[in-house]
Amino acid sequence: MEPFEYDFMVRAAVATIAVCIAAPACGVWALSRRLVYLTDAMSHGMLAGVAGAAIIGGSLLVGGLIAALAMALFISLLVVRARVPEDGAIGVVGQGLFALGVIGVSLQSEPRALAHVLFGNPLTVSRFDVIVDVAVVVIVIGTLAVMKPALLATTFDAVHARTVGMRVGLIDSALLVVLSMTVVAGLVTVGVLMAVTLIVAPAVTARMLGRSLNAMFAIAVASGLMAGVVGLLVSYHAGLPTGPTVALLAVAQVGVAALWAHPARASRRSLIPDRASAAAH
Amino acid sequence: MNRPATPVLETRRLSVTYGRRCALQPTDLAVWPGEAVAIVGRNGSGKSSLLRALCGIEPAARGEVVLHAESCHHTARTVEVAYVPQRSEARWDLPFSVGQVVAAGRIRNRWWRRGSRGDRDAVDTALAAVGLGDLGDRAVSELSGGQAQRVLLARALVQQPDVLLMDEPLAGLDLETVDTVLALIQRLTGRDLAVCCVLHEVDIARGSFSRVVALSGGVVVADGPAASVLDADGIESIFLRRVAV
Repeated sequence: MEPFEYDFMVRAAVATIAVCIAAPACGVWALSRRLVYLTDAMSHGMLAGVAGAAIIGGSLLVGGLIAALAMALFISLLVVRARVPEDGAIGVVGQGLFALGVIGVSLQSEPRALAHVLFGNPLTVSRFDVIVDVAVVVIVIGTLAVMKPALLATTFDAVHARTVGMRVGLIDSALLVVLSMTVVAGLVTVGVLMAVTLIVAPAVTARMLGRSLNAMFAIAVASGLMAGVVGLLVSYHAGLPTGPTVALLAVAQVGVAALWAHPARASRRSLIPDRASAAAH
Repeated sequence: MNRPATPVLETRRLSVTYGRRCALQPTDLAVWPGEAVAIVGRNGSGKSSLLRALCGIEPAARGEVVLHAESCHHTARTVEVAYVPQRSEARWDLPFSVGQVVAAGRIRNRWWRRGSRGDRDAVDTALAAVGLGDLGDRAVSELSGGQAQRVLLARALVQQPDVLLMDEPLAGLDLETVDTVLALIQRLTGRDLAVCCVLHEVDIARGSFSRVVALSGGVVVADGPAASVLDADGIESIFLRRVAV
């Protein structure tokens, strides 16, 4: 445990663990609700807000959230007013804000700032960053726990949810805010780009292995934590960049899960012949 | 049959439009407790638009939906009207349990509220009513088409509604499962629940429903006892082809 004799490593570990709990938990819903592309685009687009906040000396979290909300607004305008297909609107707005963010970051005096924001560096995590990350994980997990029945109902059948009086748009928006907070929290540790990997990859692993929603959450968080902690140690000892190392480990788990889950599922399907007839679903 | 004084659900000059296209012309319709109403017609005749407007999914362009003689302000978006969508509209690929899906019918507009003991009892009762009492913990991804249809029915029943609106509930089901669903509908109407089903199965509409509402071009062209609306001439005028009855 030699690395943890250093304060910066302890801070890095706490921040990484926080992100590795929040991101996979969000990811389960992002994946189930088919929001992965939107999450990816949002992580790019948030760079504009993060860069703007850095330039004026404001909170990166607030800047990122404002950019995410602006992105949601622009996408809605394009989809509803101009009848642009949703995936096209997401791509255009996300890339447009990303370009704006890159320009914003390049205007800063520190030339390595862009790489820092994109790929993160947990070894530079401050005490304040740790507090923010822990606060975010508490808010994210708490929100997801409270919203679980609503998220489940609207994910399974949004049309029916509306008929029983649920405000589906509000629930979608709340989930997007939670996702935005998670991406911003991951900014310092793994960077905005790699934060998406921590949201998506553990959720994919969990989707392949989990037989229930609770199992999916448990597997996703366990997968994220393993990638985070092991990735931090490997990067420290091997001198590798931490964000990509953590991300690669999360992706590697998807590969292992695919190898393990595929034959198991195939044999299970053969035991349930009626399931094939459920194509009418 | 003695009808109650007021219908449970009414439409008054209700119309639905998509852009400039009028899917449902101004329609007056009344449904009484205990009725089993089949809504039939060719594709694009306005059947689903009528059903979706009744439960508030589609906003009414004009007119109103009236529940228990009280206006729903152009929408019947209330738990007293339960909607059973086509199975293809739901996400059966996810590992949600049957019990969790059925409990969604109890959420209403207080989604932050945790399920109470009463909610759990209602879920168990609804699952037992559709013959799935022992499948509460099973993942919906592992259900057959017939079981899935009954899960949607249980989710509607857990709302303890007065009206049940079903969109093509028999599509893709085998004969045995069709019989099961029809028997369930019969039991529910016997308990004074009004059931309205969009159907493509003319023979079933004729044999198992007390009343048939036929639409064509967004207009109600026939409304009455099943046997008279769906006689040979009626079928020809609704579906533009002659079949032996």
